Amino acid sequence: MTELSTTATTAVLRAHAESEYAAELTALAAADDRPRPPQWQLSPWAVTTYLLGGTLPDGTEISAKYLGPRRLMEIAVASLATDRALLLLGVPGTAKTWVGEHLAAAVSGTSTMVVQGTAGTTEESLRYGWNYARLLSEGPTREALVPSPVMRAMESGSLVRLEELTRMPADVQDALISILSEKTLPVPELDTEVQARQGFNVIATANNRDKGVNDLSSALKRRFNTLVLPLPDSLEQEVEIVRTRVAAIGRSLQLPAELESLSEISRVVQIFRELRSGATADQRTTVKSPSSTLSTAEAISVMTNGAALAAHFGDGVVRADDVAASLTGAVVKDPVQDRIVWQEYLETVVKDRPEWADLYRACRELT
Amino acid sequence: MLGVRHHGPGSARSVLGALDELEPDVVVIEGAPELDALVATAGDEDLVPPVAALVYVAEQPRRAAFYPLALFSPEWVALRWAAGHGATVRFADLPATHALADREGEEHADHTDPIGTLALAAGYDDAERWWEDAVEHRTSSSLDGFAAIRAAMAEVRAGGAGDDPENARREAAMRRVLRTALKEGARRVAVVCGAFHAPALHPDAWPGATHDTKLLAGLPKVKVAVTWVPWTAQRLAAASGYGAGVRSPGWYQHLFVTADRPAEVVPGWLTRVARELRAEGLDAAPATVVEAVRMADALAAVRNRPSVGLSELTDATRTVLCGGSDLPLQLIEQRLVIGEVLGQVPETVPLTPLAQDLAKAQRSLRLKPSVVPSTVTLDLRKEAQRDRSVLLHRLRLLGVHWGRPGEAGRSTGTFKEAWDVQWHPEFAVDLIEAGLYGTTVLDAAEAKVAELAREAPDLATLGSLVEECLTADLPGALDTVVDTLAERTARQHDSLALLEAIEPLARTRRYGDVREADTSRVAGVLHTVVIRAAVGLRAACASLDDDAAARMRSAVDAAHRGVALVEDDALAGPWRDALVAVAADDRIHGLVSGRVNRLLLDGGVLDAAEAARRLSRRLSRGAVAVAGAAWLDGFLEGDALLLLHDRELLPIVDAWVAEVDETTFEDLLPLLRRTFSRFEPGARRQLGSRLRRPGTAEAVAPAALDLDRGLAAMNRVAELLGLEVAR
Repeated sequence: MTELSTTATTAVLRAHAESEYAAELTALAAADDRPRPPQWQLSPWAVTTYLLGGTLPDGTEISAKYLGPRRLMEIAVASLATDRALLLLGVPGTAKTWVGEHLAAAVSGTSTMVVQGTAGTTEESLRYGWNYARLLSEGPTREALVPSPVMRAMESGSLVRLEELTRMPADVQDALISILSEKTLPVPELDTEVQARQGFNVIATANNRDKGVNDLSSALKRRFNTLVLPLPDSLEQEVEIVRTRVAAIGRSLQLPAELESLSEISRVVQIFRELRSGATADQRTTVKSPSSTLSTAEAISVMTNGAALAAHFGDGVVRADDVAASLTGAVVKDPVQDRIVWQEYLETVVKDRPEWADLYRACRELT
Repeated sequence: MLGVRHHGPGSARSVLGALDELEPDVVVIEGAPELDALVATAGDEDLVPPVAALVYVAEQPRRAAFYPLALFSPEWVALRWAAGHGATVRFADLPATHALADREGEEHADHTDPIGTLALAAGYDDAERWWEDAVEHRTSSSLDGFAAIRAAMAEVRAGGAGDDPENARREAAMRRVLRTALKEGARRVAVVCGAFHAPALHPDAWPGATHDTKLLAGLPKVKVAVTWVPWTAQRLAAASGYGAGVRSPGWYQHLFVTADRPAEVVPGWLTRVARELRAEGLDAAPATVVEAVRMADALAAVRNRPSVGLSELTDATRTVLCGGSDLPLQLIEQRLVIGEVLGQVPETVPLTPLAQDLAKAQRSLRLKPSVVPSTVTLDLRKEAQRDRSVLLHRLRLLGVHWGRPGEAGRSTGTFKEAWDVQWHPEFAVDLIEAGLYGTTVLDAAEAKVAELAREAPDLATLGSLVEECLTADLPGALDTVVDTLAERTARQHDSLALLEAIEPLARTRRYGDVREADTSRVAGVLHTVVIRAAVGLRAACASLDDDAAARMRSAVDAAHRGVALVEDDALAGPWRDALVAVAADDRIHGLVSGRVNRLLLDGGVLDAAEAARRLSRRLSRGAVAVAGAAWLDGFLEGDALLLLHDRELLPIVDAWVAEVDETTFEDLLPLLRRTFSRFEPGARRQLGSRLRRPGTAEAVAPAALDLDRGLAAMNRVAELLGLEVAR
């Protein structure tokens, strides 16, 4: 307990969605007079508004959490409302986890019921484990049982998030099947079962670009509504995403760096987009694509790095020198192939843009 | 006065309701008045939508206007209602005789969707759903609904839209039809027209009759004809005589068919989606369909929409049934949202005689026109299949590209034919146009070929026409073409044209048997052509520039292939003599001369030593190096084995290249490069290694053969070749 109180005095690195946007959620709940599905904190309409942003009748400004097609968020909310599990698919950096967290925060008021999928995830983390000391002393009792987030969500009727579902071993994934279709979790040791309350549902995320993962079985796939989150459509949209996220991270890391000038962000995003699509923005020149994913998330991390460099070692304004190192690192994942691709891109595209001379020079120094 | 949305299922339902309520004795429908001729057949059971009423200029069927009608078109509903209730139908619009006279087949200028605009203003992205909510569900009487629409449209028009003279003329023409109908004593008249025109057609808004007459005076005129043609769902999606097309005819049809069972709209649609997916081997369990239905309902609720629309269904399909993938959705889009229906037209319809003949042939050959592309492989040795091939060939000659020749697969036989077959509704127009040539497919094709033969610019075209006469089985036309060919040959002095005619004629002669055609006359013409070409060959090869020489070389090549194909000594003899004469003449352009020498060498007429001597002479220091390179190019075309296996040729070429001085070498380089780059990479590599070690070329044969080990292999080869093996 003492430990807890000491950590509370300094601010957490990253607040949960429901606490960071608590004001917006309260305002929405107050303005929301539409019917809510059982156990939902907000109506589907209010959840959609929370995700996509808007202005409430009382003048409260709701910030946009997801920049992208409205259609996608409507599908996600509708899915949850039909008590079908939702699977968010997409390449890294398409805001899968972000959307999942905000959905959970808006629907259930908590985004902390989460299971992180890894190669080492065991069935206990989806079902339940045991407190072995109590198990030995008291025998199998309810008190000796350690419920997983899934089990707790079933009991409380809230949303549970499964991150990186495809990273879990296939046999662990299969434990989900009965939970999703029967909505019950049997506990044979106690000769009982946990029945999911209304409001229980699952939001899973998975990466459809990764190699060496465990693809979902068709039995499991059938139990999910699949929503593919695309990469941002336009340069402007992607720049806006990077800017808001870098600003938010910068705030929590207390970086004093100046991000108001968008030019550096839009340059980085443009480079990422051009390398990803294999052609320059004006569609005149073909470029090779490197093996790296070059997602929006990586653009965000490049900019955050740049901001940190500028804040601690520079004059606080992010310049070409500050982003060059992490930019090169993000593009060149394979030291041989990607380096050639990157150098070709520098020589054929970056060099020919007079206003990019500083970036060209900074990158050349590194390679 | 029923202002509708063209191709709107909601409008169609309302029209049905209004007609039942009104019980008019005259129904006036928007459309060229010439279409009145088609009303008699409108009630026919065999007229299955989608069909289109086609109005075309009699002399130029290309200039045509289509009025497509789907099952859910209000116009169609009105037409069928009138047929069922004994009411008179009249079409009202600017007569096509004027409309088609001044423009090239192009139709009305107003491709606007005023009801769509109204719906958009009300916040709906699908006009049909707006109609559903605003018109269907609000009023007990359809008539009241239409009155409201008319009032709304009057507002739209007051905004200044629809002031162009074209529109004014059209509406004047519509009013004229209405006046005539009233004068003839009609008691109740129902007018089904685009909502936009409704206010102008209401009796209260009529200007004086003279005003309209003045507008319609002095318009140009052409003679037009009308007919029904089968239409397809895909074509409904395109713009047409009734303004903008519909994007989702399949969905509209579904809406219209299930209109009286609203509870079935969503589950019915998704069940059909699932069936299509299953037909393609994709998972779509009934349980998943249930989830998809719930998903679509939930989406509509989240989007605050009163009912599930196509966009919700598409989203639900993608998310629940397709696992987020867009690929299966494209299939659904094509098969269901648009649909692959082909309409049907009864036999009693005034079809053009040619179209009737084609329909008969299609029935007897069991070759049904279908909009789904497919590949048909025909075995020409079987009579029924040959007849199909003949029909497709004839249609192709007539410009109706129902079938396109496809890849016959890995078969070198000449008895097989593959066709990519797909029917397009536009063929109706092509057929009408082809109808100018004759009344049956056979007659028309023969007439067309005869015309082509008369207009053929050269002998080669005639030669290929002869071939097409055979494939399309046109004995009558064959005579005409051969006559023309014989006559042209007699007057033709250009040996090049004669040479180019040889190959198609020879193919005809050679393969005509498969189709049981009489090719004896072709043989006669072929004989004349070959002899005349052989006689004129040497003179024709003299003094050619580079381009002419290149053309001559390919003509000689083709002719040689042709002569070889026929295997007739009466032809091969003179041809060979002509080639020998050309080959021996040093003054002939290198490209031709080199090629001819090679042909003779391959044919065994010229021996290798003589060929080497000629090569050496052409490439010697005294001769012009560029001419030598041309000769070499002609001589070496084909495969590289000659250079690889003849001991004498390669050193000559090698020595020659080494000798030429630097400036000449620069001129030669591109020519030589072109020559050698045609060889396969393997052959080029071998040539290179042969040149690097000049002495080794002769040591190819291994010194000691192990005959015992080789014997088994040799026996096996002999067995394969069917030879007796002496053991």
